[in-house]
Amino acid sequence: MEPRETPRNGRSTADNGNANATLGKRVDQVSQTAEQAWSKTRDAISSVDINGRVRRNPYGSMAAAVGIGYVLGGGIFTPLTARIVGLGLRLGMRLALLPLLKQELFELAEGLDGGEVSESSKTRRVNKATTTE
Amino acid sequence: MEMTERIEETARELGERVRPQIENAKQRLSSMNDSMTDYIKENPGKCLVGALAVGYLIGKLASRRG
Repeated sequence: MEPRETPRNGRSTADNGNANATLGKRVDQVSQTAEQAWSKTRDAISSVDINGRVRRNPYGSMAAAVGIGYVLGGGIFTPLTARIVGLGLRLGMRLALLPLLKQELFELAEGLDGGEVSESSKTRRVNKATTTE
Repeated sequence: MEMTERIEETARELGERVRPQIENAKQRLSSMNDSMTDYIKENPGKCLVGALAVGYLIGKLASRRG
């Protein structure tokens, strides 16, 4: 009796055919999703309009690129970042608070001035009344 | 009086001497700004990649020191 030839993986040829078919399907699916992802990425890039942005605001886009590079370089949780953020916050607070304080002081001064005026007008009215009587 | 007049005169002379230099520096700065913006507008990709690289290097240096 001749020895029966078996495939190396121990499966029959029919099983191998099915596996090839499913593998082909998977490959097709993967290639389709890759194509979709590529087209979506292309659309996203074209919708961002990097060239237009750079033309409209060259220094701003450069600063944004430096910032992104800084974050990618791992510089976000460092003493330098803390110092920069602290300085920015202090400056911002000063710039935001000074006009507010000025306005409050002006309002206070106006209120005081108005109060004096009203008091003086009251005394004038009283004086007028006494003279007419 | 003489002292104040002298001080005023020297200040005026100094201003007249310095003014053209300041004007020159202003013109140079504005021309530099123009050429830089033109270069960035002509080569946006190159400049963006360069800026990214510079930021990356600064971030790396900062993380090493920290």
